[in-house]
Amino acid sequence: MSDTPVLEVSDFSVAYRTPHGDVRAVDHVSLSLGAGEVVGLAGESGSGKSTLAYGACRLLRPPAVITGGSIRYRGRRLNGQPGPAELLKLRADQLQRLRWREIAIVFQSAMNALNPVLSVRDQLLDVIHAHMDISRADAREKAASLLDLAGIPRNRLRSYPHELSGGMRQRVMIAMALATDPEVVIMDEPTTALDVVVQRDILTQIAELRQQLGFAMLFITHDLSLLLELADRIAVMYAGQLLEVGTAAGIKREPAHPYTKGLLNSFPSLHGPRRDLAGIPGSPPDLRNLPPGCPFVPRCPHATDACQEIDMGLKPVSSSGDPEHVTACPFVLPDKAQVVTS
Amino acid sequence: MSERAKALEAISLSKDFRLGRGQVLHAVRDVSFNLYRGAVVALVGESGSGKSTAARLLAGQERLTSGTIRLDGEPVSVSTRRAFRRYKSSVQYVFQDPFASLNPIHTVRYHLERPVRLHQRPGGSGGMASPQKRTDVSQQLDTLMEQVRLTPARQFLAKYPHELSGGQRQRVSFARALAARPSVLLADEPVSMLDVSIRLEMLALLDDLRKRLRIAMLYITHDIASARYFADEVLVMYAGQIVERGPAEEVTQQPRHPYTQLLIASAPDPDNLGKRSQPPRKSEEAATVGCPFSPRCPLADDRCRRENPALTTLSQTRAAACWHLEKTGGGTSASS
Repeated sequence: MSDTPVLEVSDFSVAYRTPHGDVRAVDHVSLSLGAGEVVGLAGESGSGKSTLAYGACRLLRPPAVITGGSIRYRGRRLNGQPGPAELLKLRADQLQRLRWREIAIVFQSAMNALNPVLSVRDQLLDVIHAHMDISRADAREKAASLLDLAGIPRNRLRSYPHELSGGMRQRVMIAMALATDPEVVIMDEPTTALDVVVQRDILTQIAELRQQLGFAMLFITHDLSLLLELADRIAVMYAGQLLEVGTAAGIKREPAHPYTKGLLNSFPSLHGPRRDLAGIPGSPPDLRNLPPGCPFVPRCPHATDACQEIDMGLKPVSSSGDPEHVTACPFVLPDKAQVVTS
Repeated sequence: MSERAKALEAISLSKDFRLGRGQVLHAVRDVSFNLYRGAVVALVGESGSGKSTAARLLAGQERLTSGTIRLDGEPVSVSTRRAFRRYKSSVQYVFQDPFASLNPIHTVRYHLERPVRLHQRPGGSGGMASPQKRTDVSQQLDTLMEQVRLTPARQFLAKYPHELSGGQRQRVSFARALAARPSVLLADEPVSMLDVSIRLEMLALLDDLRKRLRIAMLYITHDIASARYFADEVLVMYAGQIVERGPAEEVTQQPRHPYTQLLIASAPDPDNLGKRSQPPRKSEEAATVGCPFSPRCPLADDRCRRENPALTTLSQTRAAACWHLEKTGGGTSASS
């Protein structure tokens, strides 16, 4: 990881304007992505992880409004500029040049993200012509080589989405995202609707492509077990806020936040003795009506009265010795889960 | 297992789909298994393996090409509407997607009231009995909501599907299935659309329901890890056939069929980081001649590509369909 991140999200907030007041879907989130780094963003449905990613590319539409913060992008191809590009201040035409060429997204549910009435080749060509200045013949060759890259036989170029399996469609989505050799790729739940064998194939493919092409990746999922394998660092999001950020190894070894611990104790394991699985009882909070202080209080086994007044800023986990391992929970020690009265 | 009461027996079920131009897809091929009261059987396989078709056959939603289904020892025929309804009173289906299986323009109350009125007639299931008293139905709804832990019931009954989270919607689906007071529940990937953090709680709920109500449950999933924790018996299905079966713990800890081994190697397992061997990359289509898994199998030889192995009994409770069981079992003899 380099010292200056390629993508730096600082104090970023997004709200959905509703007749009943603002819903703060992303609340003062800061997260950085180093060149070539894989950052995993974990959270349940409705935790704001997709809103954060789309917001960072300014892909949100009203009623979603960016209410504050900054998104700085420092790609290798931004030679003409002295400093980083501030995404929130770019004009539409500047954004257009930056999207896909620099930051590409693999959208959730490939089943619906592809156009059913266009062949795979036409959709790839659309992307290539929209974002790259190359001849038709080159574009065709490029489309074919993208399929090679994603592990799809070339004879599938003329196929329509309904003729492909779910895994193939997902591979097409990945090929499209990589069409312009982007610096940053955002993967929004790329394997969620797939079964385990296909998921394994796609993850292996993604890891290989990243090695080969060197892009940085923000990988969004609700399945923390995938991130433990795939990511360099992991950010855990809940109710629009980050609760814990750390290296994958650090989070696996000593999860600090009770929510992270809950997530780690949520998936059945195939190897070793059968553990007692607890999961996380309850459901995510209503963002319109958040409790004061820590949003996880209603589901937290260690919650005390003090939790309603804590500052949700991320602070280093003292015992881990890793300055990058930070958590919003000041009370629970990592590892031993002892409650400390402050 | 034999001491338990059989609820539903599937005997040599087969289902072919005609694809036109003389092509036939054998979606389910000679599948047999039993569901016992109060026990969970998991049907594990990838998309397209025929596991959902098998469940739809059991639910009476597809016509059998051949085979027999027995409910409580009686052969099942769902040729008439009335017979189908009577059958559905005993055998209920839970769909995978709680976002698609509830009607967005109706309240939770509507979704539950209809099956209660249809299936829980006073004086048994014969004919059109007089409508139940409103208070009875209302009481029933409260009980159902209590069973799936959607409380306070009154508050949730008035809600529309869009006002509920994914987990809550799936609870409504469970309640709807339970409204018929079934003896058999066919759950088709009941948690795969839900967040990982919610899944366990939902499986625990299903587990609790089958114990308390002594329901026989078929749990369909592609996640063999969840089957280890939730099911008593695991059936692994590939290309329409059962390729391995046995007690959940044994099948997941000592898988014998190469496909089961692939499934287990593919599951994300944070307890086992970095130790995995890479499974073969390319997913190929199932073979139509010989063992269907042979194109993807590391052990495949000419015999595998020629002849389809039958299920071989490994022990009283286990069986697998593979020509190379002696190579997959770590040295132990495969013959029964």
